[in-house]
Amino acid sequence: MTVPGSQGPWNQAQPAPAAEAGAAAASSTGAGAAGPGAAGPGSAGASARHDLAAQIGQVARGDAAAFDAVFEQLGPSVFGAVKRVIRDPAQSEEVTQEVLLEVWRTAAKFDAGRGSATAWVMTLAHRRAVDRVRSVQAESERERRVAAADIPYDEVIDAVESSLERERVRRCLNSLTEVQRESVTLAYYRGYTYGQVASLLGVPTGTVKTRMRDALIRLRDCLGVPQ
Amino acid sequence: MKGKPTRANRRDEHTLAGAYAMDAISAKERDRFERHLARCEECAQETASLREATALLGTAAAEPLPAGLKERVMAAATMTRQQPPADEAGASARRGRARIKAGPWLRSLAWPGRVALAAAGAAAAAGLAVAAVFGVSNGSMQQQLDQAQTSSQQIAAVLTAQDAVMMTGPVTGGGSATIVMSHARHALVFTAQGLRALPASRGYELWLIGPDGTRSAGMLPTGSHDMTGPVVASGLRQGDHLALTDEPAGGSARPTASMMLDVDL
Repeated sequence: MTVPGSQGPWNQAQPAPAAEAGAAAASSTGAGAAGPGAAGPGSAGASARHDLAAQIGQVARGDAAAFDAVFEQLGPSVFGAVKRVIRDPAQSEEVTQEVLLEVWRTAAKFDAGRGSATAWVMTLAHRRAVDRVRSVQAESERERRVAAADIPYDEVIDAVESSLERERVRRCLNSLTEVQRESVTLAYYRGYTYGQVASLLGVPTGTVKTRMRDALIRLRDCLGVPQ
Repeated sequence: MKGKPTRANRRDEHTLAGAYAMDAISAKERDRFERHLARCEECAQETASLREATALLGTAAAEPLPAGLKERVMAAATMTRQQPPADEAGASARRGRARIKAGPWLRSLAWPGRVALAAAGAAAAAGLAVAAVFGVSNGSMQQQLDQAQTSSQQIAAVLTAQDAVMMTGPVTGGGSATIVMSHARHALVFTAQGLRALPASRGYELWLIGPDGTRSAGMLPTGSHDMTGPVVASGLRQGDHLALTDEPAGGSARPTASMMLDVDL
């Protein structure tokens, strides 16, 4: 039998690292990757929005460089948003990969007439994160009870590093009433349904629905989202 | 809120816009609300504007990406066929979503160095495309993969296996090969690039060589565009080697030529 080494240099991949190792690597990645992502496309004005939409169009035509650019702009946002909901770093990483690959696969479905590229991508991300959490929750309702004692508003506030974008969102979240803010953070950053939010806060579901809509309208206007 | 004169419950229904924009509703309600949006243009516009606001809640949460994540996704993208634009946006977008949700998708495999490989699942139906990354152009790979539809499910099974390991290296006589193997699946996926062209009377044959003897793992399909495979070799056992030889086009019972490749699996 031939000695395998005789074939020259073969690179063998190691098994995937344990989740803990992955998490440690993630947290030590440092600010290098955060720079461009932290600024976010939302803060960059109309031309950046337009660029991103155009880039998604190029991605639909199989342009890897455009995908790279979209990745730079939105990757950190996708990961951050997904992680708020899912919490577990390894699972968050997995879902982030799925979302970004979905952006690649389904870029042709993006319709700039129906919203910004950022909203399209972040909707994919949040929806998938929520789906993941809910499928886990179906097995265990434990999460719900944990959450009752832990309103996550501060999560937005104590962000690792500041940016204009974060400042703006923070300011606008602060412009909401306490109950509105609570509803938004529980729903968006925790992935709860309005029914779950209602039972957490002990208010009727109708009230929560209204609160959520009022809150988002106020947030939208404060953020200056074009209507 | 403005709006066309509507049945009383439309207004009620529309208060769901906020919950919908934050995905704070059940899948069933989501579908119902989307039907509502399809009937109410103003509602759709409002909902879209709320989506813009929630997107900013998301971007405000941006965090540095874990090391290697981008590389894995970029590599996977080169192997993942893109959906064509929809003819009938609504219907096929919905079908697409359902399919995606069902898929096993990408695992967090960490390959060292420049080599990366991963798989998109569910795939066969969606036209999964998988192959090794050699920095080759997408087009030729795609054509290869078009021919490999039937085995794509098997390939996906190997690539998405938790214990999947990838190796890449040179082939004696020219070219390089990439192997992804999973002992859990008792199979490996083989692709090669730049193999020396053989006369029509000859072909490349893969072998699994182990303590129990030597088994043919099949002939490689005649390559085009420089790429060969991906092909699946099943029946992998612990302690096997993978070998490649140049044999008569019909294949041989045992290797009759010198090994162009012999890798510990």
